Amino acid sequence: MLFALVNGVVVGAMYGLFALGIVLVYRGTKVINFAAPALGSFGMYITWMLQAEQGVTWLAAAIIGILASGLVAILFERFIVRSMHDAPRLSVAVATIGLMLLLISVELFVWTGSPRALPPPIAGSGWSLFGVVLTPTKMLSVAVAIVLGVALTQFLRRTDFGLGVQAAAMDPTAVRLVGVRLSEVSTFVWGVGGMLAVVAALLVMPSIGGFAPGTVTAIFFVPSVAAALLGGLDDLSGAFVGGIVIGLVTSIAEWVRIEFSWQFPAVQLVAVFAVIVVVLLQAPDGVMTRLRVGLGGAR
Amino acid sequence: MTAMTASDTASRPAWRMALAAMPRWTRYLTVAVVLAALPVLLEATTGIPAVWYRIGGYAAVYAMAVLSLNLLMGYAGQISLGHTAFMAIGAYGAGLVTTKAGLSFVVGFMVATAIGALAALLVGLPALRLRGLLLAITTLGFLVVVVQSILQLRIVASGAVGATLARPEFGPVSLQHNAHYLAFLLIALVAMWALDANVMSSRLGRAFLGIREDEQVAASYGVDVARTKLLAFVLSGAMAGFTGAAYGHLLGQVQSTDFRLDLSLAMVAWVIIGGLGSRVGVVASGVLFGVFPFVFERLLSGGNVGFFAIVVGLLTATLGVAWLRANGRTSLPALGVVAGASIAMAGLFVAGVDPTGAGVRDFALIIGSAAFLITVAVNPNGFAGSVRERRDDAAAKQAKAQLRAGGIDTDDPTLPSLPVPAARHGHIELGTPVLEVRDVTVRFGGLTAVDRVSLTVPAGEIVGLIGPNGAGKTTLFDAIGGFNRPQAGTVGLLGRDLTAMAAHERAVAGLGRTFQRTGLAMGLSVRDNLLLAKHSLLTYDTLSALQHAPAVARAEADIAVRADEIISALGFQQYADLPVKYLSGGQRRIVEIACTLATAPDVLMLDEPTAGMAPAAVENLAERLRELRDVHDRTILLIEHHVPLVLDVCDHVYVMDHGSVIAYGTPDEILRDPAVLEAYLGERAARQAGLMGNVPDTEEVMV
Repeated sequence: MLFALVNGVVVGAMYGLFALGIVLVYRGTKVINFAAPALGSFGMYITWMLQAEQGVTWLAAAIIGILASGLVAILFERFIVRSMHDAPRLSVAVATIGLMLLLISVELFVWTGSPRALPPPIAGSGWSLFGVVLTPTKMLSVAVAIVLGVALTQFLRRTDFGLGVQAAAMDPTAVRLVGVRLSEVSTFVWGVGGMLAVVAALLVMPSIGGFAPGTVTAIFFVPSVAAALLGGLDDLSGAFVGGIVIGLVTSIAEWVRIEFSWQFPAVQLVAVFAVIVVVLLQAPDGVMTRLRVGLGGAR
Repeated sequence: MTAMTASDTASRPAWRMALAAMPRWTRYLTVAVVLAALPVLLEATTGIPAVWYRIGGYAAVYAMAVLSLNLLMGYAGQISLGHTAFMAIGAYGAGLVTTKAGLSFVVGFMVATAIGALAALLVGLPALRLRGLLLAITTLGFLVVVVQSILQLRIVASGAVGATLARPEFGPVSLQHNAHYLAFLLIALVAMWALDANVMSSRLGRAFLGIREDEQVAASYGVDVARTKLLAFVLSGAMAGFTGAAYGHLLGQVQSTDFRLDLSLAMVAWVIIGGLGSRVGVVASGVLFGVFPFVFERLLSGGNVGFFAIVVGLLTATLGVAWLRANGRTSLPALGVVAGASIAMAGLFVAGVDPTGAGVRDFALIIGSAAFLITVAVNPNGFAGSVRERRDDAAAKQAKAQLRAGGIDTDDPTLPSLPVPAARHGHIELGTPVLEVRDVTVRFGGLTAVDRVSLTVPAGEIVGLIGPNGAGKTTLFDAIGGFNRPQAGTVGLLGRDLTAMAAHERAVAGLGRTFQRTGLAMGLSVRDNLLLAKHSLLTYDTLSALQHAPAVARAEADIAVRADEIISALGFQQYADLPVKYLSGGQRRIVEIACTLATAPDVLMLDEPTAGMAPAAVENLAERLRELRDVHDRTILLIEHHVPLVLDVCDHVYVMDHGSVIAYGTPDEILRDPAVLEAYLGERAARQAGLMGNVPDTEEVMV
């Protein structure tokens, strides 16, 4: 049980990172980026190629992989999203589906469908604490997620540019008047959104196992969108907390399945689905928003 | 649904004219027979490899799949990102029924259809409370649960093979032949198309479009929004379940991965690229994008790498130029970049493709998804959407010019005398109370917007409701119409208690209302709005609508005539088939009033009909209102800011302020009431001294 809780927090932090990217893009451009996990996967393939085939060190390969996906996301923003400024937001969301399919097919073509594996960022068997094994990678994952999450929220709260990002979709005119360029905001959110996805994928995939084109999307798509929704889609810290909650839900469901030796496949996804439905029906603006309103606090 | 103009008809080829002249069912039968005969004859007379018929089978299955999705997304406006879940359920269900239980092929399809519908009903239930993206995410979660969990259950799947579906033989027809199975699929496709067309030429189809455009407006015409939404889910799910079984029999064996997320999302994209709500558009795009990789792979297995490298290059160039043109950047350097990219893609193709290997299909997928990406970017409303928009833009411009040339004011049109249908409950003894509101209270949080308001509207009177901004007039209207939930009070119409009824039930009971914001389905034509308004006057049921039964045809022909009468009375012949969004504000107002009158209400509730009207048009509206009362004995409740109009036409007037009625009486009495003068007219006079014009009652709150 304790193991399930610890694991839930670790995986949840990764869901949170994906969700952070989705929320950031939504906040900046009112588009749900369905391609976020696919962008994570693409950067991970680049990292794998450099590390396993070219012999580049893990860290250097990872940085290049992260930048590569960031670049793809920025190019997508520059050439597709921006040319659709008058289009319905749903159509832009559909364009991100196009990007997702494109990335998956590029991966299939270049790296084929055979499963690949990346080593964890830090080797080592870790420490045992109350019977729970904490590998260095797990601790690193949580640390990175917290650092990135805090850094990003602080950046968005403390700088003019960050405030511009936060307000971009709500009041574009005001943002322009403050002197923040909307095109830069858009580039920023897409680029950072793409890079966050790679970071999450790199941290979490080694402990899950091998990956093939589409694996990251299959595993992370629904939980990370669910995490973003829990936070109300436009709330950064909400997305992160949502990620942890979803992580706990999945790992507790998994623990229950093993403990009671259920023969029910993918019970954790069923649990996430149940959470989504209940949350959406009870608090369509997101749990965080609901809590905040309930406590009488204003933003 | 759209009337043909002379130029349309002239440009059509003879075979289409002949088809159009046939009765509905003869037409579908003819198309089905011709389409089904095609593969059978081809197979008998030519040596086309069987795999091409299989590819044809994919095309037919994708076409059915997008038709199903289009019904839900394109017509009813409910986004489903997990549509392959219903197909998977259908395929697995048919597999279990035929292979495991040994029942017949036909029973398999029936079961697939039924469980597809049932699953969709289940997913549709949250849709009653969720909209847009939130609903989309629920459907997506459902798909993931189905694919990764339900289909993996041991009682559902048999090991690595998910489900096995065999094709039977019927005498000389062996569906095991791909060509014969293709013939079967084409017949099924035509049947589905016919069903879709039937639905869309019935009140059910209009109700779908109505809830897509505006749920409140649809409800005010008597459309049961919840039931209509669920029906859309059920119909779409049934179609998807059937399609799943067809897909399963095409593949022979299915696994959960045959229905995975990316196919589901791709289907959504095909529907949007084809153009939401356009049968031809979505089928064309589904077939094109769905079959492209197979065709590409197949053609290339002949080994024409060089030739296909050129095709790849040209395709890339086309997409690039399309993007440049859409963004207005066709400069020489940009074209150079596109040319370079095209050559690079062709080179990549030659370098990366092993002509015998699997790389071809993946490369085709790259081209396909790039094409899809660019197409969405260049054409966000889909092909059919852009074609329609271009056509409508031109027609709107022409209509305006024609009317202007004829000396008709299109910005401030006047409301002519319209044919007025008899009220639902017939003539009511003048003076008897028709609408009775007792002690209605509406609170929003701590704010009491309407406080114990009672009012009575007697038959054959025009009763006015005036009051300063924020007095609670529109909130009271919503409470009467069933658009909000009052905390206390009752609403009665002709002695019936409406208090517990939903908005659409109140419309059926005889309440007709207009909206301050103009309550029309903006994306639908003037004609379709008028037909939608007739929703609750049509009595045929859903099953007859699906079959387009003779009774349906008669009823539809009848209301079409009525709509035409109103359109010609309005003088809107040129606008009849244009979406309402092309009309000026004044034109919309009068169309809205015409629509509400067309619902044959016992009480007509008008919410600020003069908003934005020119003085002459107001004068004319007063005349029409009097005519409705004096000639047609109609009963009207009128919210107005235009005090002179109210004093001019109303028999009795209620004055509201701060949520309560502060005065009631004849216009003369109201004018002399000191409370009114102080609370309302005084403020009004003061405002008019400084600032002319009407201020909207409640400001739209941006969230």
